[in-house]
This record gives sequence, C-alpha cells and structure tokens, in this order.
Amino acid sequence: MLVYAARRVLTSVPLVLGVATIVFLVLALAPGDPASVYVRPGMSPETLEHIRRNLGLDAPAHVQYGRWVLSFFRGDFGYSLASGMPVRARILAVLPNTLILTSVSLCIAFVTGVLVGVVQAVRQHSFLDSVLSGASLFFYSMPSFWLAIMMVLVFSVNAGNAWGWPVSFPPSGMASDGYELMKATDQLRDRIHHLVLPAFTLALVLAGGIARYVRSSMLEVIRQDYIRTARAKGLPEWLVVWKHALRNALIPVVTLVGVYFPLLLSGTVFIEYVFAWPGMGRLMVESILLEDYPVVLAGTFLFGGMVVLGNLLADLLYGIVDPRIRHGEG
Amino acid sequence: MKRAVQISLLATLLLAACAEGPEVGDSSAPGFCEGVQARVDSFMSTAAGGGSEGVRYGGMAVVGAPADLGGMNALAHGDAGAVQHQMFVNLMTLVQYDENLEPVAYLARSWDVSEDGSELTFHLRDDVRWHDGVLTTAHDVAFTFLTAVNPRSGFPNPAFFQHYLPGEAGVEVVDSFTVKFRFRPHSEFMDPWRTVAIMPRHLLGSVPPEDLARHPFGEVCPVGNGPFRFVSRMPGDRWIFAANPAFPEGLGGRPFLDRYVYRVIPEQTVLLAELLTGGVDVHVAMFPNHAARAQAEPGLRVVSFPYRSIFFAGWNGRIPKLSDPRVRRALTLGVNRRQIMEGIHGPDAVVVNSGVPPVHWAFDPSLGDSLSYDPGQARTLLDAAGWLDRDGDGIRENAEGTPLRIELILNQNQERQEVAEIMQVQLKEVGVDLHPRVLEFATLMDRITSSRRDFEGVLVSWEAEFRLDERDLFHSDAVDGLWAFSGTVDPALDRYLDTLQLITDRSDAIPVWRAYQNRIMEIHPYMYLYSAYRRDGVSGRLRDVVLDARGEWANIREWWIASEDRRAP
Repeated sequence: MLVYAARRVLTSVPLVLGVATIVFLVLALAPGDPASVYVRPGMSPETLEHIRRNLGLDAPAHVQYGRWVLSFFRGDFGYSLASGMPVRARILAVLPNTLILTSVSLCIAFVTGVLVGVVQAVRQHSFLDSVLSGASLFFYSMPSFWLAIMMVLVFSVNAGNAWGWPVSFPPSGMASDGYELMKATDQLRDRIHHLVLPAFTLALVLAGGIARYVRSSMLEVIRQDYIRTARAKGLPEWLVVWKHALRNALIPVVTLVGVYFPLLLSGTVFIEYVFAWPGMGRLMVESILLEDYPVVLAGTFLFGGMVVLGNLLADLLYGIVDPRIRHGEG
Repeated sequence: MKRAVQISLLATLLLAACAEGPEVGDSSAPGFCEGVQARVDSFMSTAAGGGSEGVRYGGMAVVGAPADLGGMNALAHGDAGAVQHQMFVNLMTLVQYDENLEPVAYLARSWDVSEDGSELTFHLRDDVRWHDGVLTTAHDVAFTFLTAVNPRSGFPNPAFFQHYLPGEAGVEVVDSFTVKFRFRPHSEFMDPWRTVAIMPRHLLGSVPPEDLARHPFGEVCPVGNGPFRFVSRMPGDRWIFAANPAFPEGLGGRPFLDRYVYRVIPEQTVLLAELLTGGVDVHVAMFPNHAARAQAEPGLRVVSFPYRSIFFAGWNGRIPKLSDPRVRRALTLGVNRRQIMEGIHGPDAVVVNSGVPPVHWAFDPSLGDSLSYDPGQARTLLDAAGWLDRDGDGIRENAEGTPLRIELILNQNQERQEVAEIMQVQLKEVGVDLHPRVLEFATLMDRITSSRRDFEGVLVSWEAEFRLDERDLFHSDAVDGLWAFSGTVDPALDRYLDTLQLITDRSDAIPVWRAYQNRIMEIHPYMYLYSAYRRDGVSGRLRDVVLDARGEWANIREWWIASEDRRAP
C-alpha cells in the first residue's frame, strides 16, 4: 500500500506543476505590476525601476518563470514580491494553521454529519427527521461569511456580555495575547478555545451536506436483506444500525473526505478572513491581489498537492472501511 | 498488520496536521537572526529597568488594525502602519513632533542650522543603545542617509532628500555623536528626520543595498533602539514587542507597559467585536457606522481627530473631454460634496479644495466657497464648454455627437463605492454619464501610474505628509512621472511649486501657499472631496493615550494600565 501511495504522489507532481504553470501564465497576462505596491509619492521612475530590478521583475516573463521553477526544485520557492520574505518561510508560517483548522473542522463535520444522518434515517418521517432536515438545509445553504459574523455576534459579543452565558469564545485570532508565556496545558486550552468558532462555522456548513448524504445512504442499506437477517437473528437494534448498517452506508460517504479536503482549504478563505486566522487562504487571496506570483505559485502547488493527498486519503479509507478493496495487489 | 499500517499512516497525517506552526523567526534566517537574537537577549537580561517599580509599570496593551505592518526596516518598508512603528515603537527618529507639530529632541539632543540655511547639524544623545547593546552613533545616521539616497536600495521616499547634496557630499560625521547634512536651503527640512528612523549600521552596513528589502532584519528579527524591543511576529496575525529596559532615562526611561501587541484583524465587524469584548484596547481606523455602537459601550471611548487623509477624484487631463478646466469645475459643482461627506462621516470630516489637509499650517478654511454644490452653474459651464444634450437623452454630447461619458475607476472599498454611486446619480442630473468601475489595487495603480495613463478618472485617497510637496503631481517637469496622472502643465503652478520648496519661513510661505491653492482651484485637476477624521476606539483601561494627527502611537511610551485593570498573566 505504501508503494501505491508513493507512486500516486510522484505521478501527481507533473500535474500539479502544470497547474502552477497555467496560474503563472494567467498572472503574467493579467494587467497590473507587482511593484506598484511600492510606489510612493515623490518616487522617480528610476527608483521604481531599481525596485523592480531588486525584485527580479525586470526580466522577461519566461525568465521569471524559469527562476521560479529552479527555486521550486531547490525547495525554497523564491522570495515574496510583496514582503521580500522567502516564500517557504512565509508558507511554513501559515500552512500549519490552515491544516489545524481544516482537520478539526473535517472531524467535527463528519462526526456531526454522520450522527445526524443516522438519526434521520432511523427515525425517517418523524418530527425529529424534519427538524434535522431543516437544520441541515439551513447550514448547508448559509454563506460561510454571514454565518461566521453571526457566530461572532452570538457567541462572542452577546454570549458573555449581554446574555450572561457562562461560556463565550474569542472573536478572532488563534491564540490569546501572552500565549507564549502560558504553560503547555494552558496553551492547549487556549488554542481549543480559539478554534471553537472558526472550526464549527466551517464544519456546520459541511455537516449539513454530509448528513443528507448519510441519510440517503443509510436508508438504502437499512432495507437490504442482510439487515433484515441481522434483526431476525435477534441482534439489538443499536448493533444492527451502528455495526452492520452504518459501516456499509459509510463506503460512499468516505469518498467525500477526498472531495471535501481541498474544498475545505478553499472554504477557509472567508473563515480565515473573518476570524483573523493567519492561514493559507488569506495569504493566497492577499498574494493574488498583490500579484505576488512566487507565493501564488507555491500556494497553488501546495493546494494541488492537497487535492492529490485528499484523493489518496479517500482511496486509503476505502480500504479500511471495505475489506474487499486492497491497493497495490494484483 | 496492513490495517495497523493504514491506521498509523492516517494518524501520522492527522498529527502532522495538528503540529504547531513555526514562527517565521524560527526558520527563515538561521544565521543572522539567531546570532542577533542571542545578543539582544543577553543585553536585555543585563539592562537596568529604571523606575519599573512604580504603580504605572506593567501590563500589556493590544492594538487591533485591519492591515499587517510591512516591517521594521525603514529603508524598505514605507506603509503607514510600519512607519509609525518605526518612529514610535521599535526604532527612533532624530526628532519628533510635539502636539503643535513642532520638532522636539529625540535621538538628537539638539540641532543647529547654519546662517545660510544650507547645513543642518544634529548633536545626538550618547546614551541610546541598539537592543543588542551597541551604542547608536552618528555613523548609523550617516549610513541611513547614504543608503536612502542610493537608488539601488529602492528607498520608498527618496523625495525627502531631493535637495541634499548627492551622496557623501551631503553628510559628514563630525564625531561619534555629531552629524552634519548639507543641502540647498528648502522648506520643512526637519520633517524627513521626524519620519525616517535611523537604522543600525553594524547589522546592515555589509548588506548590498539591493538586498535590503529581502533581508530578514525587517520582518523576522528587527533590532531597534526605541522604547520597545521586538519579541516575535506571526505574519498576518500579530507583532509582539516588550519594554526596552535600557531606554534612556533622559527620554523617560523604559515605557510603562511591559508588552505591546499589534494584532491584524481584517474584518471590521470582528475588530469591533474584539474591542467590545476586551480583546483589543485600541481599534485603529473605525468605520463611521461602528463608532456609535462603541460609544454606547461603558468603558469605551471613540476618539475622532483631524488627520492627513485627502479623498479626491483625479481626472486624466490628457483626454480631450477632460482637458477643459470648465468641464472639471462643472463636475465638482455638480456633486454635493458636503452632503456626501456628512452622510458618511457626520461632523467628522472637512470639505477640502486642494491637497493641503486641514491639520496643515498652510490649510485655508475659507477656500472653496465658490465651489459649493450648484448644479445650475455646472450646467452653465458645460454649455459654455460645448457639451449640450443634443439628442434629448439626458446625457450631453459635444459637437461631434460624442456623449460626455466618464469612467471612474476605484479599488474595492465600501466608502469609495458608496461615494462613486452618489456621484453617478448627482452628475446624471447635470447630464454627465459617470461609470464607476471597481478594479483590484495593483491594476488600478498600473493604469494611473504607467506611461499609458489608461484611465479617465480615478477615485482614491491618500495620507499627505506634513512636508507637502506636490511637484510630482502638478509640476510640468514631472509630467511624465509616476504620479502626474492629471497631466497638468501650468507655468503659474510651476512657479509656485518651485518657490514653495525654497521658502524656509512659514509666515513667508503662507501667502504663496494661498496663491497656489487658488490656482489649483482655477485649473481644477482633481475634484477634491473631503478629509475625513481618523476615528479610533479606545478601552477605558488604557490611560493617557494621546491620539492626534501624528498618529496612534505618538505617545505609546506613556500609555499605562492600572494594576487592577491588567489582563491576567
């Protein structure tokens, strides 16, 4: 299986580089000059030319691209045009933040979505099913930007102050000020405290869709003969549902992991913006607006890599949930 | 067995995802930054904390703002927030401005100006140390100047030193704490030394000028000499500074706060939420519609103060339909600037008629009475310029039948979009078809500053410097320069601009400034709209915060928090 995984990753590199090349071409053809962010009143065209030269923007587009490819193979991805920092350092500083947020959100989304979907399937056409269907549709159709603002207003601004709830959450950031001075356990608590609102906002939107998926999958499985057999054997209902039915119903749902993982990365743009979460989504948007192509290309490569990884993850999960599927054999 | 491998692979992936991200300083420049950090830590641990036992000492203040700081390298980072942190927080300038905007001593104890106004000598303090323990000397000042005037460095504000003798002829290190500059006598010659922070020669002197912007000093491991030393930074999230215990007693000693944190919170509603919930103590540049909410909250205050912003629509005078000053004046008369301003900012803004902001000593408040909203006069001027509604569709045409249609470009900004829409409606009343078009910032800048001048009108705002110099906007010598997007060529303006730069006495300059502003109104290259006040929310727990046109951080050394109001450690 490891050989299979390695082969999949290696064969994806040219594909992802190809995507980065297309992005470079799009940026090169777009109007605007990355050096324009440095323009100040009183600056002469000669000074601007020196800045462009210092940034390597005086070279033709194909030379710039060639330099970026070289920096890619060196592994440093060049320098950011907007900040002057090495791109690798810029990305390494924020990538783990996005991965933390998306991983936690994905876990919450799947656990919530599966639970809700199963309950809905088992209690089909009940009042509870209708309520949960309504809630799923509500969160599924809510713009994440709006939902994020509402979460802040309810759980940060009003929960603690106006409504006197015992719990409220920080509106933004990924750590309290003074985080670096805390003990390890306090740091963990603080990080979780800051994760709650962005992770749940991101997860709720996904959970609605997953619940719909699980519900229909469960309804299909629950009518199968072997489920009837299990019940006829006298197995308790919870064992029938959670062991026999759910495991089979989850097989199509597992593919969603692969689909949702890259989706989550793009979905974090709004969440990271609203909750001031310093992650890849925000970095990419800011870099695109500033035409900071070394960062955009490196980010594109990483996002492409995430898509590949997400699909690989889905394939591996298939093997875990369905013993009939084995990779790299025969 | 295979199941175990699969599960462990998944667990590894998840664990990798949950790993703590390194701060930039940890990894990007191991050689330079590690050495520097060790020296800073060593010096700081031995530095005396003069007077730190008083009741005002301690606590942490947090300032929240929508944009990140570029960095602490004054030779490379010129954005407004970064410059303020260089001036007031992490580094030092030779002089500062007091509340009356007059220069007062800071890194320089005193200064002399030669009788003919061509030499400026600074006498530096001899007790200011860089945060790694090295003394700040005249060699640092000379290094800063020589690097700034070297075009290879790409220093963002070269116009500051345009009247200085070139290169080493412009500066002389008299002794370790005395430095002399030579220049052509010119106005406001002290102002650059209020803005440009002095940089450490012992750390950056060996860096090629063209590599300064990429050097880790500015963003990863800055070493200043100001009241706060750099602790850490997470890009896009926060900068953390700590009190410098070695800050000279003669300048008040170490600041009262133990720590100062600058947080980046791009969404304005969330920034307001942080202020309301105590997450930040100062909310920089608050939206007008958020001010009332913050004002209603006990323990918070909203401070509005006149600032240096100028909001205007600039016209491309190279285009035939906008080359006639009568047309440009008609556009201004057809827009109710006061109504727009009051609708958005209430009383916290001032209509302006030139690039001189209301806080500047040369501002003439009586100017522009003849440019109040007057659609009748606007119609008359357009008629006189040959623009008539010839086909009865409500839009004016010239003799060739070309409609008076103007594209107004702007970047994505709520206030600018609202103003553009109101202008569109009001100008339609006088027969002008204005088309606002939102572009992303880099494209907008390219269209107005490139030699193509591929635009008709642009709606922008900027922060004026205290030392005003509009030569790059309106002087005919600069008509091919980056900022001369109006294409203005006017001999009278040239004379005023040339003269103003060389008048060293403000009282002598005021009549010339008035004449200049009147001429600007006559030829009307821009539709000047207004100068909005800066609006900041401040928590009541933070004491003695002075906010004025100098900026938010002008007196950060004096901010303090009573012990009972401090955040829990």
